[in-house]
Amino acid sequence: MATATAQRRPAAPPGRLARRGGRRGGRGRSAALAGYLFVLPVAACFAVFVAYPFLRSMYLSLTRWSGFGDPEFIGLDNFDHLMSDPVFWDALWTTLFFTLACTVLQTVVPLLLAVLLNRGWRFGVVFRTVIFVPAVVSFVVTGSLWQMVYDPNFGLLNRFLDDLGLGSLAHPWLADPSTVLPALVLVSLWQAAGLYMLIFLAGLQGIDPALYEAARIDGASPARQFRHVTVPMLRNVIAVVVLLNVVNGFKTFDVIYVMTGGGPNRASEVLGTYLYGLAFGSSAGAVPSFGYATAISMIVFVLCLVATLVQVRVNRRARDVF
Amino acid sequence: MSSSPRAAAAPALPAQARARRRPRALLGRALGYLTLLVVAAGSAYPLVWMLLTSLRPRNTVFGGGFFPSPDEITFDAYREAWTGLDFPRHFLVTLVITAVTVAGVVALATLSGYAFAHLEFRGKQVIYVTLLSSIMLPVTAIVIPLFLELDTLGLLNSQGGLIMVYIGTSVPFAMFLMRAFFETLPRELVNAARVDGAGEFAIFLRVMLPLAAPGAATVVIFQFMNTWNEFLFAQTFLQQPEDLPLQPVLYSVVGQHSTDWPLLCASLTMSILPIVVVYVRMQRRFVAGLTLGAVKN
Repeated sequence: MATATAQRRPAAPPGRLARRGGRRGGRGRSAALAGYLFVLPVAACFAVFVAYPFLRSMYLSLTRWSGFGDPEFIGLDNFDHLMSDPVFWDALWTTLFFTLACTVLQTVVPLLLAVLLNRGWRFGVVFRTVIFVPAVVSFVVTGSLWQMVYDPNFGLLNRFLDDLGLGSLAHPWLADPSTVLPALVLVSLWQAAGLYMLIFLAGLQGIDPALYEAARIDGASPARQFRHVTVPMLRNVIAVVVLLNVVNGFKTFDVIYVMTGGGPNRASEVLGTYLYGLAFGSSAGAVPSFGYATAISMIVFVLCLVATLVQVRVNRRARDVF
Repeated sequence: MSSSPRAAAAPALPAQARARRRPRALLGRALGYLTLLVVAAGSAYPLVWMLLTSLRPRNTVFGGGFFPSPDEITFDAYREAWTGLDFPRHFLVTLVITAVTVAGVVALATLSGYAFAHLEFRGKQVIYVTLLSSIMLPVTAIVIPLFLELDTLGLLNSQGGLIMVYIGTSVPFAMFLMRAFFETLPRELVNAARVDGAGEFAIFLRVMLPLAAPGAATVVIFQFMNTWNEFLFAQTFLQQPEDLPLQPVLYSVVGQHSTDWPLLCASLTMSILPIVVVYVRMQRRFVAGLTLGAVKN
């Protein structure tokens, strides 16, 4: 949210000037009226399906409520309870670990792939298309497919290891608490790499070839060109990719819900699956606790907010340096 | 985009490598090619396996090699998914939900995107940033109150309610894309039409909308993909089994037939077909959209 504020700021003065000009006559007023009318439907949607639910979430996080009768206001008791809830802390750490691993892998791998692909190859378009295809596949399909890939007895992965003579490495990947998270991170990478690679490719197209020309004349090796031309020129794109990764990591739900349901024994429980289970059954097995679950959702929101604000801060400082 | 990387962005490198024919450059080239091959193979492998498994008879799934022998290929699993799982119905439901959502999102996003790009009104920046802030709001943070809200409005278990939630929650990002697109169009067009005495809505409808097709196409692709693939809201807000779109149906199929891999793979394959076709055919617009959305802003 603040991203947009920071980036739009330079555009503000011309906008203000134009507005002042517009206010002079009736035309300006009719344009302004049209502006409000054109924006009204979106604003209404926003109010009903985003703003109101969000505000209600804030309120519900301060209540105890099973969905029947009226919510009972209990102040900060839910958050107090969170502090001593071991499942919450485990889910928080799992979320942070998952987010960190995904962010690092899903930034570095796509960036290197994009740089490689951008050097021009016969069949480059085919490579690009194939690597991107997993990104259009839904989380449910991805999760179900990889469940079969990881199947302990007949899964693609264990049979592949067997064929390589590495049968001893065969493993119940999703059933072992120590391998389930890396296995899920790999699925995430498989699906996300193509999208971020395309974003980086689009960014690379925008770099002036003359910069590389100059670097080469100065005798810079490809590695130095990468470090001193590509990375600085892609700074904003990298920032966007990192932010998208972090936010997507914090709000992870679908793949884990489909593949493990947070198991085995909560080893892959993240905040998203924990709060969903509390509100809509399964994991608690008891009455829904909407109040407690929304309190956790507020924690997810705060994590995303902090990530956004940090990104804006870092981005602005980086801009000052360069 | 297809040939431009070679032509524009790094023209000298391959040429240089070819010209000098240095062994080291050739080796680097070969390693690069190999890397791309391995990565592409890793991306495609599970999907190809899924396709092949969907064509096998049930009794050869757990044995045998990677490729089924030609004489054992069968479409039984597709037949079963088609009739046994009532696939056409859920396919149609998904198509209708997606089509209505896409139409709604494109209409609202075009209108508001244009307003934010070319009309001046008080509080424009504040309104824009407020609306856009919802991009960063995690859906898991609003799924519970949305569920309660739909319940209050009597729209739980209704596809109409689900569509409204889809439109409401996805329109801000689409609006962001359309605004970025409209900003690439010259404002003189608007001003000239105004001088000619055209009304604001007429300017939008007759002058700007016809030029908006490329931007709208991008929104259509993104929205089609997101809505077709959406799981959390559909799973939470709809309960009647016969009304469900594909994603929650697939989820329950996986739960009920977890050992019937050909059936599973056939269902999964059919469900991604429309998406893959749309993406492969409209790839260029997709890339253009990414440039507009992620790189420019």
